[in-house]
Amino acid sequence: MPREAEPSLNEKQFVIQALQENLRLDGRELDQYRPLELTFGDQYGVADVTLGNTRILAKATAEVTVPYADRPLDGIFTIATELSPMTSPAFEVNRPTETEVLLSRLLEKTVRRSGALDTESLCLVAGQKCWSVRVDVHALSHDGNLTDAACLAVVAALRHFRKPDTSMEGGRLTVYTPAEREPVPLSWLHSPFCVTWSFFGDEGELAVLDATWLEEQVRVGSCTISLNKHGEICQIAKLGGTPVDAVALLQCTNVALTKVKEFSDLVDQKLAEDLKRRDKGGFMAELRAENDR
Amino acid sequence: MPLDTSTYNLALLRVDGRRWNELRRVHAQIRTQAAADGSSYLEMGHTKVMCVVTGPSEPGPRRGGVAGGGSGGAGAGGAGGKAEVVVGIVIAGFSSVDRKRHGRGDKRTLELASTVANALAASLHTHLFPHSQINVSLHVLSQDGSLLAALINAATLACVDAGIPMTDYVAACTAGSTSTYAANDEGADPLLDLNHQEEQELPGLTVATLGESDRVAVLVCESRVQVSRLEGMLAVGVDGCKQMREILDRVVRDKGRRMIQEGTVEKGVGLDDMDVD
Amino acid sequence: MPITILPPRSSRPINSNNNSRLPQEDASSSEESDSDSGGGVDLDGDVPMRPRQQVRTTFQARPPPRDLASAVVTPGEVITDDPQWMRGHGTYVAPQTTAIVSSVAGTVTRTNKLLSVRPLRARYTPEVGDLVVGRVVEVQARRWRVDVGSTQLAALPLSAINLPGGILRKRTETDELQIRTFFAEGDLVVAEVQQLFGDGGAVLHTRSLKYGKLRNGVFVAVSGMGGGGGVVRSRRQVWTMDAANGGGQVDVVLGVNGYVWISKHVETPEAEATAAGGSITNMEESLSATVYSSQNDRIEVETMREIARLRGVVMALVENGLRVDEEMVIKGYHEAVEMAMVSPEGPDDIYLGGEKGQQLAAALTGA
Repeated sequence: MPREAEPSLNEKQFVIQALQENLRLDGRELDQYRPLELTFGDQYGVADVTLGNTRILAKATAEVTVPYADRPLDGIFTIATELSPMTSPAFEVNRPTETEVLLSRLLEKTVRRSGALDTESLCLVAGQKCWSVRVDVHALSHDGNLTDAACLAVVAALRHFRKPDTSMEGGRLTVYTPAEREPVPLSWLHSPFCVTWSFFGDEGELAVLDATWLEEQVRVGSCTISLNKHGEICQIAKLGGTPVDAVALLQCTNVALTKVKEFSDLVDQKLAEDLKRRDKGGFMAELRAENDR
Repeated sequence: MPLDTSTYNLALLRVDGRRWNELRRVHAQIRTQAAADGSSYLEMGHTKVMCVVTGPSEPGPRRGGVAGGGSGGAGAGGAGGKAEVVVGIVIAGFSSVDRKRHGRGDKRTLELASTVANALAASLHTHLFPHSQINVSLHVLSQDGSLLAALINAATLACVDAGIPMTDYVAACTAGSTSTYAANDEGADPLLDLNHQEEQELPGLTVATLGESDRVAVLVCESRVQVSRLEGMLAVGVDGCKQMREILDRVVRDKGRRMIQEGTVEKGVGLDDMDVD
Repeated sequence: MPITILPPRSSRPINSNNNSRLPQEDASSSEESDSDSGGGVDLDGDVPMRPRQQVRTTFQARPPPRDLASAVVTPGEVITDDPQWMRGHGTYVAPQTTAIVSSVAGTVTRTNKLLSVRPLRARYTPEVGDLVVGRVVEVQARRWRVDVGSTQLAALPLSAINLPGGILRKRTETDELQIRTFFAEGDLVVAEVQQLFGDGGAVLHTRSLKYGKLRNGVFVAVSGMGGGGGVVRSRRQVWTMDAANGGGQVDVVLGVNGYVWISKHVETPEAEATAAGGSITNMEESLSATVYSSQNDRIEVETMREIARLRGVVMALVENGLRVDEEMVIKGYHEAVEMAMVSPEGPDDIYLGGEKGQQLAAALTGA
């Protein structure tokens, strides 16, 4: 497995010294995100997030299956991450690296364990049939901050997704195709988003948002905070690294809250645009007899 | 309910009889295994963890390069001019109430191992041992909450026992809150050192600090909690870490004193003997 | 809980009735430690066991020394704020201050203006001139990598060994291709540390007839057996002694790194030649190929028994916290022979673990 070339000492020193003078290589502020773009695919449940040069694609799918034996009233919800050699030669398919394990755990804690998706609503027949919703996250390009982009993609994909409509008649379950009945959105409780801070300096005194890949290789510590716009922390993960002052961490959390509100507005806005695009005027438009010019 | 709310408001006692700011009984030993470079055994309440440290020694066959420095610290191996800290965790099947077999590649275990490795790497003077590897092996014998905290504390003790130079102890403990995530109740109390039942039902976090300072090395919160609660929990947690450091320090001093008494180790110059000749 | 887990039992205090047997003056003890190492700074890894002077004292009551608890410093503890001190091993300077802070748990040692902390336990750190016993782990292009129990493998270059056929024989390509005929993986070597790399790795050499490949004996690792630091520094590291019960002569090699080799003494042709009064040139030419032979000579059963007894003595010394050096090993051996005489199995009884070992240690400290 080839290793990625580490940045040279000169590069590292350059980045660190520039940060100490409040300069970042791409001219951003220390707490400014790169331009964030969110597009949806034609199919329901496909979200494509671009954060600078980092690009993540998330696709949500659902199928009917048997629920877990110890949770007969809950549906199944899994998030699978794929970091392939497309992103970096150091990643190998089916050989999880530490980065992939941590990313997968973060997404799991942020989206799954915080109860963003109501799994009880996925149950069809108690103990026998339920929906199994699966989100596949593919990293297409890695230029730092996979976590934030991946979480945004997952949330957007799940909110965009429509599962087929079902009905129960006397013990028989009927699943309708999209042609028969409009698919229905998932039961979504809250939207968590991740904000990753990177720390630089001997005592971790410089805190920077949305690090690029070069900045990530130079940083001495990082902390990922997941919140939703109501100010509920879903998880915090500062997994080691240079110790940072506790008060500084609290300030980071407060700034994270403002960023999460921005993300939330962005996702809402994009979803609304997408809905309008698909809608094309609704019922009355269907009954029109005019031809398009 | 870990906090029987009615009695909690009356006597402010938790189910096991502790108040909000009391640690559980901590029992720790170092040099439990003579054959290892460093070893320790730690109990925090019913959470029991054993740790063995080998090294710094020659690194094993090179593991595949880890893409991405992660959260800094342990990565980049011996070639980076620093010792690499490698942590392995084995959680015994009999450690929890229901027997559960934990595979080696379990993601939660890998995350715990990565956290402990990065926490240690931030404190150990790894630059003194380039091209070498420090192997930390942790065994969980019994779980009753605060698992990550116990792992970090045991690993710190074992590294001190192995004589690996470090900046200061990395002491960890857990803190929680009696509030629920949705409510904005002002009457919510922060709690110190959660056991298993409290961890399941109440929001909590694990925090590790470097020595006596307020600098946080590890902060892990896996439950939903209001942002306003965070400050209280963090403050209580950091205070608990300081108490933990005192306990760990006392264990090391006692053992050192015993070793000097038994003559296994030369008694050195007393600290107040340092007059200029 | 269905399973009860008991904490590990701490090892029994050795000589628990000797608690009061401690030096009175701090100054005198520091002088002892300085003189033990022959002056200079005691660096990491050099943790001599109980010095001889303490072994000789009997059960006289002494007043407990003051400040015993503060004699141990722990990581993160400030040793002094005074800027006049220089910091040595085991310490670091806290950033933006002049305070010297300890980075290991151990005792403070002072040499002139140099403050260092000797850890309670640490791996062996090589010093130039140490005699070490090591095991060959890797064979590389023109050198071997040898495990000496340190943080890194030591290097033994092909140019640093005696080539058979004469010390001044030129190294040829054939030698490089046949490098495994000299030392292969797993061989034991006694060598001296010639120099150190910048990062602390050692470079060894065996350019003397008393160094080279070890055979006809057994290996004991003193480190990693609960001993203080596992390092043994004494006046003589290698000696030959007479074994009892018809065992003949036995060589003992105490490596400074805590690796010990006990073997049957075999007269080499070179040694015989020198003993017969040969000149230097004769000796060089007679460096035969048997020097690198991996074949053991024939060892008699009595010799094997005495070698095993010596090994038991060394392990008993370590397990009971006593110093492992020439005097203690020889005394311990004589003591063990006497113990075997009075035991029911006679001279065949060589077991010295557990209680027998404690009995031996008690006899040595009392003697």
